[in-house]
This record gives sequence, C-alpha cells and structure tokens, in this order.
Amino acid sequence: MSKYAFLFLDDGVDYQRDPTPEQQKVYADIFRWFEANGSKIVDGGAELQPTHTATTIRQSTGKLTVIDGPFIESKESVGGVSILELPDRAAAIELAKTWPGHGVEIREIVPPRPRD
Amino acid sequence: MPRYMLTFISHDEWWEKQTEESLKQAYAPIMSWWDELVRTGVVKSGEQLAPQRTATTVRRVNGTMKVTDGPFIESKESVGGYAIIDVTDLDKAIAVAKSWPGGDVEVRPVVEH
Repeated sequence: MSKYAFLFLDDGVDYQRDPTPEQQKVYADIFRWFEANGSKIVDGGAELQPTHTATTIRQSTGKLTVIDGPFIESKESVGGVSILELPDRAAAIELAKTWPGHGVEIREIVPPRPRD
Repeated sequence: MPRYMLTFISHDEWWEKQTEESLKQAYAPIMSWWDELVRTGVVKSGEQLAPQRTATTVRRVNGTMKVTDGPFIESKESVGGYAIIDVTDLDKAIAVAKSWPGGDVEVRPVVEH
C-alpha cells in the first residue's frame, strides 16, 4: 500500500457562494464520495476557500513580501487535498476517475526523512 | 480556532539538483520547524509531495474523466507539500508562513462545515 495526495482541482466554481442547482448536486455527490471512500482516507485534509482569499508569502527572492492572491493564476486551482492509502497508482487513478468534481492531481507522499 | 492551509511552493528543479549533503542542510531547519509547530499544536497535519514530474492528472473533459501524465499546470513552481494549521486569524497564519524556512508559501482559509 502507498499513500497518495489527491489534490482536488477546481475550475473556478465557488461552491460556497450562489452555486447553481447542478453545482449543488456535484457538491452533494462530493460529500457522498467522501462517505463511500472513508476507509481509504488516512487524512481528510482540507477543503480550501477560493483562490481570491489566498495570500502568498515570498522570500525566495531574498526579500520578504506578502501578496494578495494565489502563487499561480490559472483557470484551474487546487481546491482541497486529502491523503488516501491505496494499493498502487493504477488504483489511485481508477478512484480519481470516480471523483464527482472537476479533477484530481495525484501525487505520491514522500515519507519523512530519517532522523540523524 | 479557524484552520488555514499553508501550501509550500517548490522549485523542483532546484531540489533535484542538490547533493545529499546540501539536502541535509536544507532539510534541517524544515524538520526543526515542523517538530516545533507540531509540538505546540499549531500544525495539525501535513505532507511532502513527490515532485510534480511524477504527478498524474485526472480531469473531466466534455463529461468524461481523462487521464494525463504530469501536473494540472506546468510551471517552474508547484505544490511541494502542505501543512494544515490551527491559529486565531489570518495575521497569525501569515506570521507562521513567514517563519517557514523552506521558501515561498501560499496561505488559504479552510472551509469549515
């Protein structure tokens, strides 16, 4: 078994504000998806507020700056994350195909580094 | 208390160029940061993600789920990991993000149900 991060992708729908009936149905299906797959979820992670609520802190440039907005502007963004334990990547892909929302980026988890 | 997610922004190219010795040096302050914030109850959970070149993306295209190799967006910067923190407000979350020794960070509030 391996642990995979599911980065749930948004395509700009704000489910928290004035969702259409179709979007409400997707949101309800997402709740059911989490219920149905509860045994595979090792960390429920989080659902994120839309990207317009993001703040980005940059210091890699050598100067610390705080900027309103996400680190990358694009139509698609990460709307949430959960950690799932699954036999392999093929199983992760099959499960991601059942996600009722827009999409999923699948990434394996890096195990913690050994302590000296 | 409200929760916020810190998204750690990775320049994979840089990380993959490092020797084991320089990786050790880069990770040391990150591991201390992590240990301290877990101990004080600020960090609730989090993970480091494998580099974005290992990603698989599954997304809905014209109603069907399509599988593609690679991340959802190609960029020098990618999601390298995350931490979910529990703090009083956004200012505090930004202060925690500023103390991250691993580079740039995006902070976003978590939806509570």
